[in-house]
Amino acid sequence: MCNALGIVSYDDFVNIPGLNDTRPMPSVSFLGRYRLIDFVLSNMTNSEISNIQVYVKNKPRSVIEHVGTGRHYNINSKSGKLRILTGEANVQNEIYHHDISAYIANMQFIEDAHQDYVIIAPSYMVYRVNFEEVLKAHIESKADITMLYKTVDNADTAYARVATLSIEKPRKVVAIETNQGKFKNRHISLSTYVMSKENFVTMVHLANETSSLFTFRDVIKDQLPMMNVVGFPVHGYVACINTLEEYHRVSLELTDYAVSKTLFDPDWPIYTHTNDSCPTRYTATADISASVVSNNCLIEGTVKHSVIGRDVEIHKGAVVEDCVIMANTKIYDNVHLKNVVVDKFAKINHKVDLTGSPDKIIYVKRKDNI
Amino acid sequence: MMRQNNMVAMILAGGRGTRLLDLTNKVAKPAVFFGGKYRIIDFPLSNCANSGIDVVGVLTQYESVLLNSYVAKASLWGLDAKDSGVYVLPPREKIEGFGLYRGTADAITQNIDFLDQYDPETVLILSGDHIYKMDYSKMLDCHNKNNADATIAVLEVPMKDTHRFGIMNTDENDRIVEFEEKPKNAKSNLASMGIYIFNWKQLRKALIDDVKNPTSNHDFGKDIIPTFLNTDKRLFAYRFKGYWKDVGTIDSLWEANMDLLYRSEELNLADPSWKIYTEDRTVPAQNFGSKAKVSNAYINQGCVVNGKVTNSVLFTGVIVEAGAEVLDCVLMPNTKVKSGAKVQRIITDENVVIGENAKVGSPKGEIELIAHDVKGV
Repeated sequence: MCNALGIVSYDDFVNIPGLNDTRPMPSVSFLGRYRLIDFVLSNMTNSEISNIQVYVKNKPRSVIEHVGTGRHYNINSKSGKLRILTGEANVQNEIYHHDISAYIANMQFIEDAHQDYVIIAPSYMVYRVNFEEVLKAHIESKADITMLYKTVDNADTAYARVATLSIEKPRKVVAIETNQGKFKNRHISLSTYVMSKENFVTMVHLANETSSLFTFRDVIKDQLPMMNVVGFPVHGYVACINTLEEYHRVSLELTDYAVSKTLFDPDWPIYTHTNDSCPTRYTATADISASVVSNNCLIEGTVKHSVIGRDVEIHKGAVVEDCVIMANTKIYDNVHLKNVVVDKFAKINHKVDLTGSPDKIIYVKRKDNI
Repeated sequence: MMRQNNMVAMILAGGRGTRLLDLTNKVAKPAVFFGGKYRIIDFPLSNCANSGIDVVGVLTQYESVLLNSYVAKASLWGLDAKDSGVYVLPPREKIEGFGLYRGTADAITQNIDFLDQYDPETVLILSGDHIYKMDYSKMLDCHNKNNADATIAVLEVPMKDTHRFGIMNTDENDRIVEFEEKPKNAKSNLASMGIYIFNWKQLRKALIDDVKNPTSNHDFGKDIIPTFLNTDKRLFAYRFKGYWKDVGTIDSLWEANMDLLYRSEELNLADPSWKIYTEDRTVPAQNFGSKAKVSNAYINQGCVVNGKVTNSVLFTGVIVEAGAEVLDCVLMPNTKVKSGAKVQRIITDENVVIGENAKVGSPKGEIELIAHDVKGV
């Protein structure tokens, strides 16, 4: 059992117009059968964290439906606990509606947790890490806060507005800045923090007292000179889903089995909610390559280098290339799609030709009929 | 208990299924895989759940360890609500000694105490061996409407096949007047599906009498149904229309899997109003490589395909490497077909590895079961 309370956080600056119109980041579909939150929750439960709080800023319906009691994430239904929490107190007033206000509103549940530490991680960062090892390193380092980071060489095109860390040897974080995309090589913060519960509660109150607009990231940055903050490098696959282009790029990158193997490990299962869908049927006219496909689809057309969600129909003569097609979508005869993200329940009728480009993805909204 | 219909279901799942050869060496037939992700017993269990039956007993006997632990996970079929459950009932030691189930009826007799706990009005007897989708609540409506003592689900089979089934001869109201086990010259083509609804009090009495009969086989078809008929009980046939298959042999198991490709209108597992529930394995969605070629296939999550797959059913976690060819095959979970291998008209057992460049199966003749790894060449 891991001696930490798991907190699935949200960051205010992460919002993808379209994708986030009907659901918050945690319940955005990913790689066919998953939603983004599955990765952080599986990291937590695989690390034997059994007390978890999921904070949702708004539109919690899909998160509640997907996460539920958390039983399918391998949490003991008696001794474990998963709570979905919202910062409802300030809902009418958008500027006060941030992570700190949500923690303040639910402080009782944080203080009541039996665990001595907290591990805070958002759902828009996709990676695999054993939090038990991170916690062990944190305790050994005697640091006030441990921050997970990834050293990347594409900070100019990805990770927009994510925090970057300046790290002095051995692992001390000396500055926290915001990624403006000016440099390629950066230490990217995974917005994932480990600290004692006591320290966390102090930081939350401090943020609230300093400014009612302060977020958790602001208070860490503000207090950095007074604290011992260390970085913990993540060496495996990391993706940050904070723009439509990155969502599209990362999804397609993970259709490559060699890349996918760096995120998925049979010994580190990624749990999700099952829809009890039957297998997918490929007809004699199907042509599929370099793609990821979920269950209960009907594939009659051509699918190249794409991600196909559950219950999708791709009819004869349709060509889907470099696309992310979400669940319950119907792509009818002879439709051509390239570099398109199609949201759930959309219908695209025959003879439509939609061609986007990797840096200008076409987004077809939920329930759209084209 | 049993708010919905006062009926308890009992699934007979003790048989080995000898003609499935090595597939049932270590598991009972109801636990054999079917249709890309299911086990055979998922069908009666899902039918129960979808028909509003809350309490299901599963009678196991042959190699029951896997089956017992599998069906005990009642939440898979949503049968874990407060008043419902799936109860595993293998033979047990009793004060009069340890008794194996000596026949289908004896299995129920030995669990009269289980049924008495619920004191149901009717008992539904099912087999754990068949692939079909059926709303048992409609059968119960028919049973009640006829004021029947027992109702037997029947399927119209071609006259040429009647010699393989128990045949029910009925009057104009579908009341059963005669039962013939595997007749040479059948008078009707209504074949028993091995699905019975009994009035529990009457069945209970018949079972207790049957135990005392030294010449009885303690079998529903051979003993209980004839006894009911001979004592002028009201037996009715319930006509079922739809897909139903006993997957008792390697050939019929292969054929039933192929029906998902060729008879998908009849055996439609995609109907959202009648889902078949099963264990969900935590594996990613299906992955196709740049060299994949897939035509007419039924493929489940967790598969990784970079070779050629034609007219085949691929279960969870099957790997088909680049340059491999799979034609007319049923590949059970985690089968691995390595590069350059060619497989045709085979069923594999779980976890079988077909080595590089190996050639297995033939274009004609019986379907071959591959239960052990095949070395590469």
